[in-house]
This record gives sequence, C-alpha cells and structure tokens, in this order.
Amino acid sequence: MEIKFENVGYIYNEKTPLAKEVLKDLNIEIKPNQINAIIGKSGSGKTTIIEMINALIIPTTGRIKVDNFLIEPEKRIVNIELLRFQVGLIFEFPEEQFFNSTVEKEISFGLKTFKYKTDEINKRVKNALQMVGLDESYLSRNPHTLSSGEKRKVAITSILVFNPKVIIFDEPTVGLDSNSKNNLIRLIKMLKNKYHKTIVIVSQDVDFLHKLVDYIFVLSDKKIILEGNKYEVFSQVEKLKEHGIGVPKIIEFTHKILVNKGVKMGYRDEIKDLIKDIYRHVT
Amino acid sequence: MENILVIKDLNFKYHNKPIFNNFNLTIKKGTWVTVIGPNGGGKSTLIKIIVGLLPAEGYIAVDNILKNKDNIKEIRKKIGVIFENPENTFVAETVMDEIAFALENLEMNKEEIKQKIMEVSEYLNITDILEKNPFQLSGGQKQLVALASVLVLEPKILILDEAINRVDYLDRENILKVLQKLNKEKGITIINITHDIEEALYGDDVILIDNGKIILNGSKELVFKEEKIFNKIGLDLPFMAELSLNLMYYDLVDRMIFDMDEMVDTLWK
Repeated sequence: MEIKFENVGYIYNEKTPLAKEVLKDLNIEIKPNQINAIIGKSGSGKTTIIEMINALIIPTTGRIKVDNFLIEPEKRIVNIELLRFQVGLIFEFPEEQFFNSTVEKEISFGLKTFKYKTDEINKRVKNALQMVGLDESYLSRNPHTLSSGEKRKVAITSILVFNPKVIIFDEPTVGLDSNSKNNLIRLIKMLKNKYHKTIVIVSQDVDFLHKLVDYIFVLSDKKIILEGNKYEVFSQVEKLKEHGIGVPKIIEFTHKILVNKGVKMGYRDEIKDLIKDIYRHVT
Repeated sequence: MENILVIKDLNFKYHNKPIFNNFNLTIKKGTWVTVIGPNGGGKSTLIKIIVGLLPAEGYIAVDNILKNKDNIKEIRKKIGVIFENPENTFVAETVMDEIAFALENLEMNKEEIKQKIMEVSEYLNITDILEKNPFQLSGGQKQLVALASVLVLEPKILILDEAINRVDYLDRENILKVLQKLNKEKGITIINITHDIEEALYGDDVILIDNGKIILNGSKELVFKEEKIFNKIGLDLPFMAELSLNLMYYDLVDRMIFDMDEMVDTLWK
C-alpha cells in the first residue's frame, strides 16, 4: 500500500499568536511491506507525521497519498473510516485507554461500534488473538490485571481485528522490560513476514529498532535529514549525535574503536560476530 | 558502612495475593543502587511501601528511624521520590514557584526559600528556566525541575521510579550525570528503579527482584556475571556487560569493563 508525503507542512494553531511550525516541505515514501522507523528528538514532529497517515491531523500545506486516499488541506475525505480501518494506529501507553471489564469487550469494542455481525466479530477476535500469540483464556480476563507486555498485546489485538494493511506504533517499548521487548520484536517481524503488513514505528529506543527495522527516516529541524537502511543511517554516528539522537550500543562501540584507534570494524548486528572481528584484530 | 535503609520480615498482600513474604533488604548509606526486574515483579510496590503509600507488616528503618504510623512525615522528609511523569506533580505556573511550593508549606521565610532555590538551581544548571512555565519545558527539563523540588528539602535518599523513561537520549545522559554528582559530592543515596538496564552502569550495586524476591544483590561487576539467571528470567544484560563476558571467554580481557574508552584501550594495548 502506497504512503507518500508530498511537500507536507504543518503549523500548530495556524493563524493564531501561538502558531508553531513543526514540519516543512516534507517528502517521505514509506516502504510497503517493510518495517519503517521514524526517529528524532522529542518535539521534532514524529507523532504529528504518524497521526497524519490516518488523517487525525490534516497537513496545512502539501498532501499525503495513502492508497487511494488523498489527505490535503481543506478537503473532505470520503470514506474516512475505511482509511482508518486500513491504517491502525497504536498510541504510546495504549493500555491507558482500556475501559472495558474484559479483554473480549475491549478487543471487540471497535467492531461493535461499526455494527459488525456477532459471527464476524468472533471470527476476527479469534484470528487477531492468534496473531499476537494470546490464547482464548485471556478473553474473560480483566485487561487491567494483565502484565505490561500482555496489555500491549491486547491493545495491538484491538487494532488487528480491523485487518489493517498498515500498523503504526508510537513509542511501543516505553515501560517494557527486555523480555516483553523481545516478544514485541518477534510479533512485529511476524506481522511483516507472515501477514505482509507495512509497519511504521516511532521510537527513541535505537537498540530496539536496530534489531528489527528495514528502513529509517531521521527527522530534525522540521525535515528529514537522513534516510536509508539501518546500516546507512546508524553508521552516521556524529551526524546523529549533532541532532541529539543516539545510536545502538554496538555501533557506538565500533565507532569508539575507529575514533580512538583508527581501526575500522565491519557493521555487526550481534556481539558474537563483533567478538570474532576483535579477536582477529588484537591477537 | 552505615545502613540508610533496613527492611526486615516485610509482608504484603495485594487483593489477597502475597507480593512480599518475609522480605529483607538493606541499603548502605551513600551508594547508588539500581533495582531491576521483570514487569510486575514488585519493584514499584516496594517503593510505595517504603514511603508509606501502601500499608505493610514488617520492620522498616530509614536513616536509623524505625517507621511507625506516627512518624511517617519524618520518614518522608528523608526520602525524595521522582516519578515517571513529573507533570502529575506540578502545581505552579513558574518553575520558581514550583520549587518553592514544598518550602512554603514548611513555613520557611521568603529570603531563605529564595537562597535555597538559587543554590539548587545553580547546582542543576537550570537558573535560565526559573521564570518559565514548567508544563512548557522539554521532558528532560521537567525532570530536572522535579528533581530540584525534591532536593531543596535535602533528602538523604533519592528514589527514581522509572523517572527517565520518557526523556530524550541527550537529556537522559545529562540527568544521569547530575545524579552521579549528587551521589558522589553530596553523599545522597540513590535508588533507581528502571527497565533500562543500561542505567545500572552509572551506579554501584544492582538488585534484581522477581516475584517479590531478591534474586541477585551485589556490585554490578558481580551481578552481571550471572548471565544464566538473566537468561532464565528473560532479561538482557547491559551491552558492555555482555561484551565483557564474551571477551573474557576468549581471554581477551580479564574483568568486567563498563567504560567504552577503557575497553578499547585494554583491547588495543
């Protein structure tokens, strides 16, 4: 599914004394069926971008193409619900929005609102649960009593029931321990590989992103300052630091070796591969 | 070394489910302890019990004062707590008034309040934002304001409950360095509860809590050697600890090295 930003700008509180421009002449093409990431300091406009993809925010200039939909200033979007079914957005701390007494009610709430038939709802809930790896015993449980990792899965399930083509995650790892993070990595990879979803993740957790992303956009000063696959982006250590963005620990370390000793190491994903390189160099 | 916090035979149930069963813990004065463990293991509950937000049975002594129902105010004065979302505790329209709030409640005179605020603000390097609205600051600045509001009360222990979770990378490093300075120069004991295991490298000791029990407790050098226990619980080690263990396996280094520059220098002697 095509997602393309063309010269998009956004000004909060436009035409008021509080007007603040957060994005200017932004051009982005999200890679379909891949795991895309948008990184940048807080306040750089990352969340504004993702909220534009399902038209929660309409750009003040330029336009966004999402499949057959056009999102542009002062134009009504026909069938906006259809757009929002196709683009699922999972907010930061999604569990804070739980308001039902059982997981089943929580997950099926959206479908009921749109008057889906009971059989269809049951089928979709069952499928979505299976996708995230929760068994049906969870359906009768109170969502507020689940662990943080399980709560995130329930929140993701309540989006998956709409069978979206695109799934957007806003800071998905905040508050999660490393066990839950690793589960989330497996889940997101499966959504891409097995179910062919397009994934967009906004996150400051570069060590998490390093383990799963295919393509990265770096946002700073209202525009994209760098984009490419993770190797192309994270190898720009100095440039990222200048813009207040960290790099994965393994890259930071190999960069230290280069700066302090003039030794260039390869780009490695795993410590065990890095160790082999170090062994070759120092013995 | 003197103990600043002693917990003995602590028992606590939540909705009839036992969380702590004869739990014991001591923390030495002036150390920086990082408390880690899986979600739902009891970390935040423990803090709430210590500051008297949750009732529990057992012996708790803070700075040699045995906690009972009559002296909770005295105990709280010794402990400053910083939570994940500082906005929840902001009450004033300027940073200056925000920091002054607790002191005004203690009926301190205006001159003294001002002097204390200036002292702490200079220490934390936030004098340039004193006139600003605390709600309009960056995540990192908000946490520094929360820290200042607690520090003016001169606590003996500073507890951080996931406090820098939502803070930007550069601000995060800045706050951790400020905490290091407070710990080393002012001798304030720091208890940092976090999911980000990398933060443990800024401190001395590490306590791993799971299911209401202390699984590991000791210096970071010793705790992070227990790779198997971490694997079993499903927690990652900090990057430098994992790297050190792997390099030790190949005899390339002979100890845990947490500083990247030191590691590079040791490898390329």
